[in-house]
Amino acid sequence: MFHMGIVSGLKSEMESKPEGVFFPDLLRCRGYEASGETANVNARADGIAAIFELSEPHIYKNDLIAGSIRDAFFNVTAADEDAARVWKAKYPERSFPTNFDHYAPDYRAAVNEGIPGLIARIEESLDKPKRSPLSVSLLLAMKRTLTALMNRLENYAKKARALMGTEGYNDDRLSFIAYNCDALAKGAPESFAQGLQLVFMIHNCFVLEGRYAMALGRIDQYLYPLYKKDTGSGLFTDAFCEELLANAFLKICEFRYRGCDDVVNIAIGGVDENGKSAVNELSYCVLHAVRDVNLPGPNLSARILPDCPDVFLDECLKVIGTGLGYPALMNDEVNIAALLRKGYDIKDVRDYCMVGCIENFIAGKQPPWSDGRFDPIKYLEALLRDTPPDELDAIGSMDDLMEIYEEKLELGTAEYIGNMRHSAFVKDPENMMSPFLSCFCEDCIGRGLDINMGGAKYPSAHGAALMGIGTVSDSLAAIEKLVFADKKVKLSELANALRSNFDGYEDLRELCLGAPKYGNNDNFVDKYAVWYTSTLSDMFDSYRTLDGGPVYTIMASNISNIAAGKELGATPDGRLAGRPLSDAASPTYGCDTRGVTSTLLSASKPDYTRCACGTVLNQKFSPSVFKDGKREKLASLIRVYFSRGGQEIQINSTSREVLKDARIHPENYQSLVVRVSGFSALYVTLSDDVQEDILARTQHEDI
Amino acid sequence: MSILNVSHIQRFSTGDGPGIRTTVFLKGCNLHCPWCHNPENIRADREELFYEKTGKRIPYGTMLAPASAAADVLEDKEFYIRSGGGVTVSGGEPMLQSEGVAELAAILRENGVNVLIDTAGCVPWSSFEAVLPFVSDFYFDVKAGSPAKYRELIGGEMALIENNLRKLVLVGANVTARIPLIPGVNDSETELRQIGAVISSAGVRHADILPFHRLGSAKYEAMGLDYGFKNTLPPSRDEILKAAGILGAYTDVGIE
Repeated sequence: MFHMGIVSGLKSEMESKPEGVFFPDLLRCRGYEASGETANVNARADGIAAIFELSEPHIYKNDLIAGSIRDAFFNVTAADEDAARVWKAKYPERSFPTNFDHYAPDYRAAVNEGIPGLIARIEESLDKPKRSPLSVSLLLAMKRTLTALMNRLENYAKKARALMGTEGYNDDRLSFIAYNCDALAKGAPESFAQGLQLVFMIHNCFVLEGRYAMALGRIDQYLYPLYKKDTGSGLFTDAFCEELLANAFLKICEFRYRGCDDVVNIAIGGVDENGKSAVNELSYCVLHAVRDVNLPGPNLSARILPDCPDVFLDECLKVIGTGLGYPALMNDEVNIAALLRKGYDIKDVRDYCMVGCIENFIAGKQPPWSDGRFDPIKYLEALLRDTPPDELDAIGSMDDLMEIYEEKLELGTAEYIGNMRHSAFVKDPENMMSPFLSCFCEDCIGRGLDINMGGAKYPSAHGAALMGIGTVSDSLAAIEKLVFADKKVKLSELANALRSNFDGYEDLRELCLGAPKYGNNDNFVDKYAVWYTSTLSDMFDSYRTLDGGPVYTIMASNISNIAAGKELGATPDGRLAGRPLSDAASPTYGCDTRGVTSTLLSASKPDYTRCACGTVLNQKFSPSVFKDGKREKLASLIRVYFSRGGQEIQINSTSREVLKDARIHPENYQSLVVRVSGFSALYVTLSDDVQEDILARTQHEDI
Repeated sequence: MSILNVSHIQRFSTGDGPGIRTTVFLKGCNLHCPWCHNPENIRADREELFYEKTGKRIPYGTMLAPASAAADVLEDKEFYIRSGGGVTVSGGEPMLQSEGVAELAAILRENGVNVLIDTAGCVPWSSFEAVLPFVSDFYFDVKAGSPAKYRELIGGEMALIENNLRKLVLVGANVTARIPLIPGVNDSETELRQIGAVISSAGVRHADILPFHRLGSAKYEAMGLDYGFKNTLPPSRDEILKAAGILGAYTDVGIE
């Protein structure tokens, strides 16, 4: 019916940027202006509806799944901006700290019931006795936004029909789009394509609303019944399914017209509601579609469990080996255990997905995510800097020092939670409701409550991102070794050295650098990583979010370790002032010198079932490891790491692009190893012509 | 009680045998292949390599009791077992330290860990006899096809090497021949046919071609040595496939 390979066609069509700037508020303001509504939430719904309804649909020549944010780009005048500002002051929006986005909508319900089905449920809810005026307003506002969504679908159908016969367009594709959009305006999706069309159009609407990092969640699960139905007919092939998915995923990348990439998490694999492997044919289709799109935006995660098929893990590694870096591999056993500790129903836990980069999330059942950064090393540095020398030297043992450090951390967490609750506080929640978002959260419709005001099944969860596990562990190990075990230096002297950024203390710095480092399977230092994870999780466990939800710990601060390091003086691990902290859950960069197996043995020692939000461990491998016959070594590596309790691993193939970048910025690639049989070398030590050789070998994938 | 002169230990070695392996590189070699990519393993003495580009000094050479070396590599046992891997002992020439290697292999075998020895084979047969009770997997280099070339270029006694190769196969060891493909040294059709004949007449079923690379040149620089092969280009894909085609007449061939 359709020619294959439209992905490349769509990609090149998408290369031309829309004119103007992304400014849906232009339409939103028209909605506010025209609104005769008195209640805040209803005027708000009119604003949202105006964006959905008034924008001119854009259909690409290669589209099969319609929906675009191009229709919200305008040449905006200063007067438009001023007008928008006035309206925004009247109808302010929540933001990331106040649970605005980073959310996985309840797409399962939307796909199963269709928009008309959701509207029917809203009407039922309106009919419930003793509905408060606020609930009635909200439910009517929700209905208004869903009606606007149906109108938007109809507008797309009309547009598709109007485009028929236009040069460059394909009438078969246009009628496919028109048929599907029309059907979705009238009922629940009847085919895989319609299910995907519905999900993508809703996603598109969230972006138009101004939201970011809205996850697609477990698309291989909630669309599977429709996939099975279609494949049963015999006309529907996996190739076509992948094409449809790639079409939708590619358009997630429209976000870059706004200057950055979106982070739309998609979780595949994992378990079903009985705890058995849920990997299915659609999981592979999603994997292949993400590979074909080959752009950041769709952020793929694969939930791996012991009984997931080897071929699934292998297929994941093949996609990673293309240089894409996706999917991130998640240890399902650890994540499920971690979320169960937070008291969610086991059925909901088994259905978890991720939002943003890796944040574990109970899809469609809790308010949007929020998180912040907590920097434990700061408190150790301050302790050493601010304590008078005689008091420092009076600390008689490592245990005594740890006790003092823990007191500081207690204080630090209290301060963090105070700030978090302060910034999460919304003075006037009734005037900041989210009618459209609430349509896709259990059980806002039934309860007649906003997603952030008790509508969601569970309260909000907040993530405290713990930074610098490597820097902290290495620093504590250096103190234990040099001050208390070997008695090479007094604590006050070490503090002096840190204060002067090791200037004049070069020998001492050498000793600090030579102390045991996290990531080498050495318990002398690894015990501090274990302590770090459990102690800080204990501390944060004792707090709640404003609506009574849990505080999770995370170790995934991918780039804020750089900014945090800039503000910090020298540390006992030998790190100089201003240098980055160790990133995410990884050992300090360049300090895990014994090889990846040792790194993984260390990195699986902390109890990650305490980190309910998730962790990130970054590892790079040369492309040779992704070749046929070698990938199973990588798979075994991951299986052992996961069986020992590692939570996550994000693998990058050192593709040609990486190797080229390493020639330009060798400082960022000090530990990049190239390996051939019986030989390995640090890439940055090689001369230009030899680096050329490696690039040449990479081209035919020999190294 | 013997002691092992260990150059360095490399974990997650993916090119030195089946599965996930740790390679123990032993220091000291009795050959002097001019293209050698691990020059730090040739001399038995401890050496420090200084890399100007990164300002790093890396020492090679630690005396380790076989039991200590075993404890070190056994940390990764779970990875070996899961992947069907194990420990590869390489060098230098590991068979020059056959007593220590035998002790190490005995401990590893007792722990259920496979051991593979990567050798150039220019040692008395008695050395192999020392390790054979504990090791059945060998990577055996065949670097040249004529006694003259062996003697002149790399200082090896071909008769001894060939004899060892044949005997290993005869006693039932699992032997893979490893052929470094060196431009201008052994890549002519004649040379490759001679090498093929050595391999097939010894009864070796499988050979891997290891195409020349000059990744070792940074090490020569770091040792203050001149590398005679620093300007030699690696063989092209076609040249490698051609060599594989020629050798394929004699044995099953893979490319590493």
